[in-house]
Amino acid sequence: MKLRRPRMAPSAYVWLLLAAIYFVIPLYSTLDFSLKENKAGTPCCTLHNYGWVVHNGDFWHTIKISFLLALETIVISLVLFVPTIYWVHLKLPRLRPVIAFMALVPFVVPPIVMVVGLLRTFNGAPGWYYGTPWGFLATAYVILAFPYMFFSLDAGFRAIDVHTLTEASQSLGARWTTTLVRVILPNIRAAALAASFLTLAIVMGEFTIANLAAFHTFPIFLQYVNESQGFPAGALTLLSFAITWAAMLSLLLIGRKRGARGAVVPATR
Amino acid sequence: MADEGRRVGIATQAAPRALRPDLASGRRRLPLAWLATLPFFAYTIAFLFVPAASVMIGAFQDKANHGTFSNIRLLFHHPYIDAYWGSIRISLITAVAGAVLGMFIAYAAIRGGTPRWIRSVLTTFSGVAANFGGIPLAFAWIATLGPLGVVTTWFRNAGWDITYQTPHFQISSERGIELAYMYFQLPLMILVIAPAIDGLKREWREAAANLGAKQWQFWRYVGIPVLMPSFLGAFILLFGNAFAAYATAYSLDNGINIVPILIGDYYTGNVLDNPHIAQALAFGMFVVLAVMMVIYIPLQRRAARWAK
Amino acid sequence: MEDYEAQEIEFWAKLEEEGMSRSSMLRRSVAAAFGLTIVGNAATALGATKAKLASPPTHMTKALFGDLVKNAKKEGHLNTIALPPDWANYGEALHTFPRKYGIGITNDNPDGSSAQENEAIRSLKGDKRAPDVVDVGESFAIAGANEGLYAKYFVLNYKTIPRALKDTRGYWTGDYWGAVSIGYNKTLVPNPPKTFKDLMKPEYRGKVAINGSPLSSNSAVSVVIATALANGGSLGNIQAGIDFWAQMKKIGNYIPVQTTPQTVASGQTPISLDWDYNNKAYVTEFPAANWGFTVPADGVYGGYYAQAVSAYAPHPWAARLWEEFLYSDQGQIIWLKSGAHPARFNDLVARKVIPKAVLASLPPASLYKNVKFASLGQQTAAKNLIAQQWPTKVGG
Repeated sequence: MKLRRPRMAPSAYVWLLLAAIYFVIPLYSTLDFSLKENKAGTPCCTLHNYGWVVHNGDFWHTIKISFLLALETIVISLVLFVPTIYWVHLKLPRLRPVIAFMALVPFVVPPIVMVVGLLRTFNGAPGWYYGTPWGFLATAYVILAFPYMFFSLDAGFRAIDVHTLTEASQSLGARWTTTLVRVILPNIRAAALAASFLTLAIVMGEFTIANLAAFHTFPIFLQYVNESQGFPAGALTLLSFAITWAAMLSLLLIGRKRGARGAVVPATR
Repeated sequence: MADEGRRVGIATQAAPRALRPDLASGRRRLPLAWLATLPFFAYTIAFLFVPAASVMIGAFQDKANHGTFSNIRLLFHHPYIDAYWGSIRISLITAVAGAVLGMFIAYAAIRGGTPRWIRSVLTTFSGVAANFGGIPLAFAWIATLGPLGVVTTWFRNAGWDITYQTPHFQISSERGIELAYMYFQLPLMILVIAPAIDGLKREWREAAANLGAKQWQFWRYVGIPVLMPSFLGAFILLFGNAFAAYATAYSLDNGINIVPILIGDYYTGNVLDNPHIAQALAFGMFVVLAVMMVIYIPLQRRAARWAK
Repeated sequence: MEDYEAQEIEFWAKLEEEGMSRSSMLRRSVAAAFGLTIVGNAATALGATKAKLASPPTHMTKALFGDLVKNAKKEGHLNTIALPPDWANYGEALHTFPRKYGIGITNDNPDGSSAQENEAIRSLKGDKRAPDVVDVGESFAIAGANEGLYAKYFVLNYKTIPRALKDTRGYWTGDYWGAVSIGYNKTLVPNPPKTFKDLMKPEYRGKVAINGSPLSSNSAVSVVIATALANGGSLGNIQAGIDFWAQMKKIGNYIPVQTTPQTVASGQTPISLDWDYNNKAYVTEFPAANWGFTVPADGVYGGYYAQAVSAYAPHPWAARLWEEFLYSDQGQIIWLKSGAHPARFNDLVARKVIPKAVLASLPPASLYKNVKFASLGQQTAAKNLIAQQWPTKVGG
């Protein structure tokens, strides 16, 4: 076969262009609005609203809390779900539909109902769990992330040959933990990253549970601004979008670096 | 690939018994196998089933906490039954459109020939957009296609007033909500299906080409069947995601008759006040999703059979 | 805006610096939503506070007022709930009271509903973060009184409050009322509607929004009732109102968009039907929107909210001092500035104590001459009719 630099297929251009148009236009409309000022009859374009957001102490404070909370949720979720799904794919395939079904339950329980049930049940729990976002809220968010985690990781595990990889690794003398960490994990890296992105976005956007459990997270601040300010709300929306996107990119870079080192089975691409 | 499998098999045969997972996973290991899933089940029972149970029980109680079926019976009357149809319609349409279009977009970004940075941008953007919802998303769409939106104004200046000239389009309508929902359905699909598309090894395409298969034949006999289980899983996820969505719909069209909005009205509004009806509505959502799963499982099993 | 922003930051800063027990805060908020019973030494906690100070009086008199202030200051704190700073000018009240008496205020769940307020009282008995006072819709006030959630209290100026606006047993007192109004963006709506019937004109296509859905917002229900009155209906039969909005939806004038500060400021909801005091607040809040409002003459419908003191208030003296503050001339005028009619409005007018500037900023009194209020039974019937018909006739 003649070696030539692969060109992008024309259909790919079309699809990506359509996607870009669809996604960018609403953001542009918000941008257009955020550059307006709260004075009658002023012509376009002021950065006043962005200044308002950036100089707002609450903004930085709550973003930090939400971001750390998201990281914690991601870690707990991965530690909980990856081994389980791996195990299910390997040894207990009949359990898969059961877990898939369970993964739909978070959709059915409205967050309002979930937070009441949780608070009622864990009323007597110690302060370090019940009274801090790092305990109570993270726990609830892991549940919220569960459907997205499950279906992403499931798709990832499906794409690799779990049995072969495990057997190969074991026949080379690896323990289960080594197999999991150094063989399986690098191969589902894409799926795990996707699941992590979704979890990050969920935590940065979840309002109801945090509100009723009286924690001061970023979405609470966002909602308050949306309900009481006019113009800054648009600026805040775009800024939070940009910041969350930056967070994802950094996750991607972290994931990429580790992946390059750790893969035992060379990528087949 | 079959070659590799055989080689590994031989290596396995020769290995000492302690390292033989195939022998080791005999009857004695089975209880241990289930044990490994214990943390997961313990967690979900504690933090998921307990609140879910309170809903299911509450659905069958009245305000005096006596058992009753009246809440459930109510669900079959207007406007509740209409709310379920509304929710199912919106969820099905956005799930199908999101799944199909999302797959094409993901494939376009991942396939050979497309620069790698496009994929990174797309996946990270999708991560953010997948959870971009509620008031901010609704406002973004109102600012775009609302009566005074940016795009509406473009069309109006070009001579087409889409707000009332046919063909006309209202962002505050079921179609408008579906259009807005795509903003998080498409990214969700892209994120979930991308690893599966990665699994479509290039060698398979080359092998198929070597055997004389055309583009569509590859897809029909290899590509689609391999992707189908993940596609179905993603579809279910999209359906559930749309089914449970609340804030975006309310901010775009607060009169739309869908179940999550009704639940909100009964649980915390200033007008209606009957948490048990809200719980019954949630129970109904559970039933709908259960039905989806019942359809999904055999479909998925058939699809997975091929992928083995 | 700076004020409210500062207040919000102050609120959260207080949380941090008090190192407030998250447990209590959690329990309070949950209860605020749903009514849980709280485990814990409710009775003893309540007993402990009460042991320090004697029970406050039920009827306030000038002689007892000094004691009220003294004991309230000893308590040193007040818990309020669900008071948005830009609703009826509560921002100013929440700002002035602490500076006047040195009693700090914690305002929980600013966007909460009346239902949540009553729930908070129910479930937080004995918790020191429970609300001391509530400001709820009329039907919730009556329900709460019957349930025993409130304490009897007659403010100093009780006699100057019209009979129709208070509970004669003393459990709740009407605080302010407003009438349904039509707010509009003068730039985008150069020829503003003057009556409800006007709204059907083709020039308002795609421009008319209600603040909320009648299935969850009390002010939206009131809008439907007002339009019923304007279209031949009555307080007892609001079918005409539902049909009006069904028609408005059909011809495309009504856009079921949730009115938010963003949509008002950006002009995406150029006409918004809401209480007059809310529309009035937009006038100064969003100069860019060039907002104006009017109370249509063909359907003047009023609704009032009510103050009540919690029967389980953790700060009973401070709670009553807050009520005295709200019903004093100063407090009443604070409400009046927002455009809401305080309960003692007629008394204030008769004694000529309203500053000229405030009077000038209000809509003309003639607009309110024919205001109608619905009874509880009429309101319930209206809500039930809406719940049955709105989703299919107007929704979607």
